[in-house]
Amino acid sequence: MPKPIANFSSGFWLHCKNVADDVRSLWLIASRGGDQDYLHRISKIQPFSTLQGLNKTFGAGIFILTEAARSCAAEQTKVSAMRFWPLICSVLLMQSGFAQTNTGSKFFPYPWTIDTLSNGLSVVTVPTEHKNLVALYFIVRTGSRNEVEKGKSGFAHFFEHMMFRGSDHFTAEQREAVMKKAGAENNAYTADDRTVFHALFSAKDLDKIMEIEADRFEYLKYSEADYKTEALAVLGEYNKNSADPAERLFEALRDRAFSTHTYKHTTMGFIQDIKDMPNQFEYSRRFYKRYYRPEYTTVLLVGDIRRDRALDLTKKYLEDWERGGYKPDVTAEPPQKQMNSASVDWPSPTLPYVVVAYHGPAFSERKKDKASLDFVVPIGFGENSELYQKLVLKEQKVDMLEPVFEDHVDPELFAVMARVKEDKDVNYVRDEIIKTFERFAKEPVTQEKLDETRSHIRYSTALTWTSANSIAGFLAPYVSLGGSPQAVDRLFALYQQVTPKDIEENARRYFVPENSTVVTLATKAKEKSK
Amino acid sequence: MKPFARHALVILFCSLMAVRAQETNQTRLLPQPSSSPLVTFRILFNTGAAYDPVGKEGVASLTAAMLADGGTQKLPYDEIIKRMYPWATSFDWQVDKEMSVLSGTTHIDNLAKYYGLVRDMILTPGFRDEDFQRLKTDAVNYLKVSLREGNDEELGKEELYNLIYKNHPYGHENMGSITALERITLDDVKEFYRSNYTRAKLVAGIAGGFSADFPRQIQNDFAVLPTGKKVAEKFDEPELEPGMRIEIIQRDTRSTAASMGFPVDVTRADKDYAALKLVESYFGQHRSSTSHLYQRLRELRGLNYGDYAYIEYFPRGMFQFQPDPNLARQQEIFQIWIRPVPPEQAVFAFRAALYEYDKLVSDGLTEESFQSTREFLTKFVDVLVETQSAALGYALDSRFYGIPQYAKYLKSELAKLTVEKVNEAIKHHLKSNKMRVVMVTRDPESLKDGITNGKPSPITYNSPKPEAILAEDKIIEAYSIPTKPEWVSIVPVENVFK
Repeated sequence: MPKPIANFSSGFWLHCKNVADDVRSLWLIASRGGDQDYLHRISKIQPFSTLQGLNKTFGAGIFILTEAARSCAAEQTKVSAMRFWPLICSVLLMQSGFAQTNTGSKFFPYPWTIDTLSNGLSVVTVPTEHKNLVALYFIVRTGSRNEVEKGKSGFAHFFEHMMFRGSDHFTAEQREAVMKKAGAENNAYTADDRTVFHALFSAKDLDKIMEIEADRFEYLKYSEADYKTEALAVLGEYNKNSADPAERLFEALRDRAFSTHTYKHTTMGFIQDIKDMPNQFEYSRRFYKRYYRPEYTTVLLVGDIRRDRALDLTKKYLEDWERGGYKPDVTAEPPQKQMNSASVDWPSPTLPYVVVAYHGPAFSERKKDKASLDFVVPIGFGENSELYQKLVLKEQKVDMLEPVFEDHVDPELFAVMARVKEDKDVNYVRDEIIKTFERFAKEPVTQEKLDETRSHIRYSTALTWTSANSIAGFLAPYVSLGGSPQAVDRLFALYQQVTPKDIEENARRYFVPENSTVVTLATKAKEKSK
Repeated sequence: MKPFARHALVILFCSLMAVRAQETNQTRLLPQPSSSPLVTFRILFNTGAAYDPVGKEGVASLTAAMLADGGTQKLPYDEIIKRMYPWATSFDWQVDKEMSVLSGTTHIDNLAKYYGLVRDMILTPGFRDEDFQRLKTDAVNYLKVSLREGNDEELGKEELYNLIYKNHPYGHENMGSITALERITLDDVKEFYRSNYTRAKLVAGIAGGFSADFPRQIQNDFAVLPTGKKVAEKFDEPELEPGMRIEIIQRDTRSTAASMGFPVDVTRADKDYAALKLVESYFGQHRSSTSHLYQRLRELRGLNYGDYAYIEYFPRGMFQFQPDPNLARQQEIFQIWIRPVPPEQAVFAFRAALYEYDKLVSDGLTEESFQSTREFLTKFVDVLVETQSAALGYALDSRFYGIPQYAKYLKSELAKLTVEKVNEAIKHHLKSNKMRVVMVTRDPESLKDGITNGKPSPITYNSPKPEAILAEDKIIEAYSIPTKPEWVSIVPVENVFK
């Protein structure tokens, strides 16, 4: 343990190594350097694993400075380093890695800590009032975005399945027995940018569950026969989804809207690739070695849990997990040059669907572009929007109007889907959606609307925090994208700063015809004539 | 006053009020005070689709929809949406056979305003024609498009209930039937409201950090509802002819979905409930890889995405891990859900499910399976009631069945079980010759032939399998399906829910 340079009344010790031994001087170095963008960038990429690396070179102070610089900029006032002592107090540098605490004074109300082990694995602990239960999430920053090789679409999702097929020290049956003994609800999901393994169980079983979870992440083992059997289950999943026209609509939308980026395919993948999965056993091993690595992973624990126990168990079972080094070469999507469109024939009777989508900005907890356009979701297309009231309630031409604008690592789509009651109204509905998008580029939203939407966003978020599991589920995307629960506070601080002008400017930038794609789905002609 | 002292007083006050309401026939309340900053409402009326008048199937759902998704006498629906917008709240409805629940959660900051709105939505509904037309079309499209043409699994599961409860008050989808919905008028809805939204049928559930006088306010406000009749209808077990009857729904789809089941005379109020709940968990715990069926059909053989079993109604199972509360019924079925399989493996998968079901009935559980499943359920029940809304919902259901707090009740009943008692319960309740089956597929004639021709339906794999599995497959591929060609009907999808 390096020599402590300060001892604070909170009982935390701040240790620094390989850096100047005075926090004030570190702050001054940052002030003189003035490269806040650089500091933001390094914490934006993979904040804690990257910082672990930086720590070796510069020491923990670099992160403290990042915090200080941003806070200072936000307050637009000259502040001495001493003002950051409460924040600095919350920063721990431990021998095994890097740690940060939050006392819950910002938007996200629960206190949390983040620790980063020397192998790059981060551990987020959020104690809550929910007794006897722990939600344990393993968040792996790989998803369909990482499927960069041709013919391998859907592989991240498929690999999620393989993680339940046993490991060196626990067969799949033994694993199931442990989960059963703990009364666990236990599953996983894959998205474009992440794969999340989640379990909710009795707190007293945490040690054993951490052991089996660690074993599969570090020592996954499966036979080729099991691999091929699981490929059929994945095809079964595609088959059951395929009954829903909306699934097909979004499959076609992505295929049409993207030319080179891996967001071109859905998380399930292209059907031809799913059918070929049984032949990709060797590739599956490669996929595991690339992405199931500590630097890609965050362990999140919420509920009846203390930080010291979470950290002890993570170290006990995962400290020797070897860091990888692979970085996928995800091709950036070039700017779209003209409006795209496509139509899909549906083999059986259905109401027609139309989806209008624009390429939008990536998730950011620092830039206001995505945060500004997030306001367009409820204002433009939510239940309280003029368009919903017109199409669904007054004219009653549409029975489903759904905006989709999720947070992504890379720029993805802002899409609005409608299910139309009569074929003759499809073009009208399409045009109404487009007009609504374009109106945001021409007219600023009123301050009143903006304020009530801020309230809407805050309450709609707070209302989801009803259990340890729902809090963990809420945090998982932010931990994946922003590195820690602090991403939530940062994002909601951004929401407070968004102005009508921000929305208008970003709408003008993104909601232009050459950036749009329209896809319709309808029953094919011969079915209609039946 | 310190928060914990205030909280204790609210609890005491609410307990006294709940008791008094029972004694004086006032509005029945189920208050569950806590220190949560969220307040949850579950306003339950003991009525539902089983109370739809003949020829008006769907009016119970339309009535609940008109309350929760329609305007009040004072405010049109768009104005209600506008007012709720800054608080990010909504008011939702769910109708089952014997329960209609209107529910919502608000942050305590907005409680007074939110309550004012939802109170008016229930007590002084607007019953506007434009809301009625919209919601009726939504109901028809739900059956015609969303269920028939967008979700083979839910289609099969819902049609199974219709098949089992044919000519019974439970015998139509909760949303209604298409022809009846098209006939229902706004006056029918008003009449259903008048006769079913009464104090006799009401239990107002509320949970969260509300003040001590809030339950009294609800009690006073809801006193304007008519008293209504106290007597609840009794719904009997359906009368079914013996023999396995199969309905094959023809639909142009990639794969074949299957659901099968039969009535069981066990609800939460029954002494064998915990035993059957344990069997359900062992044989087919919902969306869990610990399920026996899941292990045999999916994990070992890769037939599909999952296979589960139920002793209580569990709609929307493909979208959620836990059942919604307030689906309490006097009659339940035992059900097996086989998720879609490739059409060429449908007969084998069906036989495999029957083989496993027969083995369950003949062999029961081993001591080891019993112990491990009991341990699982004893802990898992805490997961079921984890949220405030679920805990309140389960409390309302416990009141319906006349049982104590659900988690406590189930744990104590499980503690009393032995493997012998569980296996007796299996023999007593799960041995049936009245199985009903619904399958959804694109080539019903081939499927019917495969089911009834008595020929083996072998399976081939894309990878080597252990000898034990291959030997078992030999039994399964020729396993007897106890049906006859005349018991297998083919129904075009457009005739379902008609």
